[in-house]
Amino acid sequence: MTLLNGLLPPYIESIAITVGIYIIMALGLNLITGVTGQLSLGHAAYMSIGAYASAVVSLQLGMPFIFALLAGGIAAGFFGLIIGYPTLRLTGDYLAIATLGFGEIVKSLLFNMPIVGGAMGLAGIPFKSTLTVTLIVVIIVIWMMVRVERSRFGRALLAIREDDIAAECYGINTSLYKVKMFVLGTFIAGIGGALWAHKIMVLQPRDFGFMKSIEILNMVVLGGLGSIPGTVLGAIVLTSIPEVLRFSSDYRMLLYGALLVIMMRFRPNGLLGGVDVTKLVKKSIKSITGSNFADKEKKKVKGGN
Amino acid sequence: MIKSRKIFWVLSILLILSLTLVGCGGQKEEPAPKEEVKKEAKAPAALKIGFLGDLTGDTAMYGQNTLDGMKMAVEDINAAGGVLGSNFEIVEADHRYDKAEAANIVQKFVNSDKVIAVIGDPTTGITKATAPIINQGSVVQISAGATGPGVVEIGPFIFRNTLLDTVGGPTTMDYLVNELGWKKVALITAVNNDFSVGLSKIFKEGILNNGGEVVIEESVQDGDTDFSGQVSNIKKSGAEVIVFSGYYTEGGLIMKEVRKQGMNEIIMVGGDGLQAPTFWELGGSAVEGSVSYAGFSPEQPTPEVEKFIERFKAKYGKAPDLFHAQGYDAVMLVAEAIKNANSADPKVFKDALAKIQDYPGVSGNTSFDANREPIKSPVYLLQVKDGNWSLLKKVPVKK
Amino acid sequence: MDFTSNFIVQLINGIALGSTYALIALGYTMVYGIIMLINFAHGEIYMVGAFVGLALVTIFKVHIIIAFLGAMLFCMLMAVSIEIIAYRPLRRSKRLAALISAIGISIILSNLVNLLVGPKPQTFPSIEKILFEIKSFDLIAGAQINTLQILLIIVSAILMIGLQYIVKRTKVGKAMRATSQDYDTAALMGINVNRIISYTFAIGSALAGAGGVLVGIYFGVVKYNMGMLPGMKAFTAAVLGGIGSIPGAMFGGIILGVIEMMTVAIGFSSYRDAIAFGILILVLLIKPTGLFGKQIFKKV
Repeated sequence: MTLLNGLLPPYIESIAITVGIYIIMALGLNLITGVTGQLSLGHAAYMSIGAYASAVVSLQLGMPFIFALLAGGIAAGFFGLIIGYPTLRLTGDYLAIATLGFGEIVKSLLFNMPIVGGAMGLAGIPFKSTLTVTLIVVIIVIWMMVRVERSRFGRALLAIREDDIAAECYGINTSLYKVKMFVLGTFIAGIGGALWAHKIMVLQPRDFGFMKSIEILNMVVLGGLGSIPGTVLGAIVLTSIPEVLRFSSDYRMLLYGALLVIMMRFRPNGLLGGVDVTKLVKKSIKSITGSNFADKEKKKVKGGN
Repeated sequence: MIKSRKIFWVLSILLILSLTLVGCGGQKEEPAPKEEVKKEAKAPAALKIGFLGDLTGDTAMYGQNTLDGMKMAVEDINAAGGVLGSNFEIVEADHRYDKAEAANIVQKFVNSDKVIAVIGDPTTGITKATAPIINQGSVVQISAGATGPGVVEIGPFIFRNTLLDTVGGPTTMDYLVNELGWKKVALITAVNNDFSVGLSKIFKEGILNNGGEVVIEESVQDGDTDFSGQVSNIKKSGAEVIVFSGYYTEGGLIMKEVRKQGMNEIIMVGGDGLQAPTFWELGGSAVEGSVSYAGFSPEQPTPEVEKFIERFKAKYGKAPDLFHAQGYDAVMLVAEAIKNANSADPKVFKDALAKIQDYPGVSGNTSFDANREPIKSPVYLLQVKDGNWSLLKKVPVKK
Repeated sequence: MDFTSNFIVQLINGIALGSTYALIALGYTMVYGIIMLINFAHGEIYMVGAFVGLALVTIFKVHIIIAFLGAMLFCMLMAVSIEIIAYRPLRRSKRLAALISAIGISIILSNLVNLLVGPKPQTFPSIEKILFEIKSFDLIAGAQINTLQILLIIVSAILMIGLQYIVKRTKVGKAMRATSQDYDTAALMGINVNRIISYTFAIGSALAGAGGVLVGIYFGVVKYNMGMLPGMKAFTAAVLGGIGSIPGAMFGGIILGVIEMMTVAIGFSSYRDAIAFGILILVLLIKPTGLFGKQIFKKV
């Protein structure tokens, strides 16, 4: 189990765990924004719900980590259901602003909740998110995503993204699918949050602001909307770039911003967008098998590392 | 098939690229220790001090100031020939107020850069998130600013150089209620600032214990600029004094709004979070008469403080604030401990650091108690007069 | 009596704060109306406007009114160049690509100012030294309004009326409305769409720049990260009013400001944001296109 831990230099290992957590977060958002096309600007809120819920389970109940993980996922998924059910009727940017508002509400409530420490937050959370654990969760989440994409469910989601009115005409219950995928996406965000809590060991509401949601969105769009390998790549690139740019601490964030602009300028569909899923699906159902083939190859490449 | 092959190529190229990028980040750090070993054989290598703080995020102001203070301290130490024959060198890293980045940075500090001490973070939250890693790596951490509970308890390598809320808070409230005679208090807290939330609790206790009354409690947020609503409420409440537990930016702006709304007599009493020239730069005449506590007094400065203020002004062209002073002192404390222990090994000099008594720092006369908590004695109550702090009262602290 | 006076005071506070939101919200709504882009960099343009105004007043010692116009002009030119560099090449791509590009620009601008000026909040020279003394006037029931608030509200109102005039009465305004209704048809009708989009960015950003200087005067402080939160609030205000609608943005901003102040007035200052956003979500659920938005029927 602990085979991988300690194999890498600690600095790299720490970055690798962070990358893993962001891959999970980004895959959850990819399901909502990439696959189904519902722009969400409040993903960090679900992350915070998962993180706090899992921290409470670990600290107050002292239960094993696996329960804390699941508790984080379930709590976030539950709020995803409560919020998703009414708001997913909204379309496009109205949904975006509702999710943004929800994110700010969660942050504001966390600041005012003495049980979770208010601004001081929760501390002393045990370190459990080792590289091995994170990697296992990443693999499970990727596997889940691939399964969802290949299923009838996944095809329905793509139909909704491309044209939700047409999808409705074909007898797809769009609202039901949207809510289902929103809950799954937020569940995964909760899992990611739980891992985060058990890596960082300290939680404060400030950590889950609007910019965190934006960072995760950047990963999904930069990698390629709707593309699983793209999202994974986006998370890897955008998490490691600030570390790579560390040599110039003054210009670091400046370069990060410039990179976003330049990458969008030259690859507006994302690094892997347009190369696969998006374009192919438009043409025929056959191409879905093609994109899944790409996923297999992706896995092989990943396995090689 | 053509398409999937294309995907494969793009994918693999990008994966390799991103991994090499990460790899470069790592590799660049790794050869460093080797070089160090070589150097050590000839002349003693520079002793590395890690700066952990925010340079680009929401708390950049505090991080930047701490770093400026540290830079001056390192210059002073190196100009005096270093410590045990070695110069000090600062390794900077910006975490943009992100805990995950902060955690990565301290891993780099401890394992790649091989620093002997980490100075930072000015905030309690990030200090608590990084301290377990630093403690495990047997490196000394001195937070110049973390005042909240549960910091030094993390381990024997964790210190802080700051005036604790529990020392200054009650003293100030005692003075406020009993000597200034104000019983009706308006208490303002910056809810998204853990320092303010913690200090407000202590202030409130202090007010109630001395027979005062909190007639109104208002919340603001760090980063707000509009306080008109809260100030209108305070105006209505009939409070005699405003107690604010947050930082100088919001403090100055609140007082400005207070005067704008026509309350010309009421003053602000706050914690050492108000200790910065920014307070009156923003507040102007509105903050005249405001009271706060600190570990030092610019009016009756010790020779060290006077020299520090002069040289700081010469170097940066502005007056130092609390974070400058605490950053400066943190580096000096490390140097002092190394000298006392006659060793630059954190495992050794951490004990010497814990034993420091009555160190005449520029942020106050500093001692560490049995629990490694800093005690700054005396505490000074200061009042803004003509755009500077003037001494109101000197209160000795029981150790 | 006391209750009414407090209510009126808080209402005025709310309208003053809301006016600043409205000035920023207009830029969001105009750009959105014409190219369906949430221009994330807009909050930073407002921030840059405030800094340009500050630099003109303190370094170049010009009169505040010239500084005000200078900031507007600078923001215009900056926004037009940003549009050409970062958004125009992406116009035919997915909308989210332009959104990410805007986020990138926003990060660049705030970090650039942080590098140039530093993270320390900068003091805006007090208005008393430049223009007039701050006086308070009594309104009904003992409530007061001060000259700064009057200035803020009046200047915002003038700018908004000016905008309404441009959009409704001029040829450029007509072309803007045509382009926002149907991009392709407008192009076919011989409208130079690129130029109209540049105009839209220019006008929206001039308002943001004006807002930046006004806020600098009103609160007396400018900071490198001051664009973030008001930007987000202003965007919310634009949506509240019905994004794409110019009167919607004005009223959305003022309503949001008033809601925030009323939350503070009833003693829930720590829940200020939560309640403001809660009401936003409720409004959207009841009226999904915002208060002034028109229902758009999607064609299959």
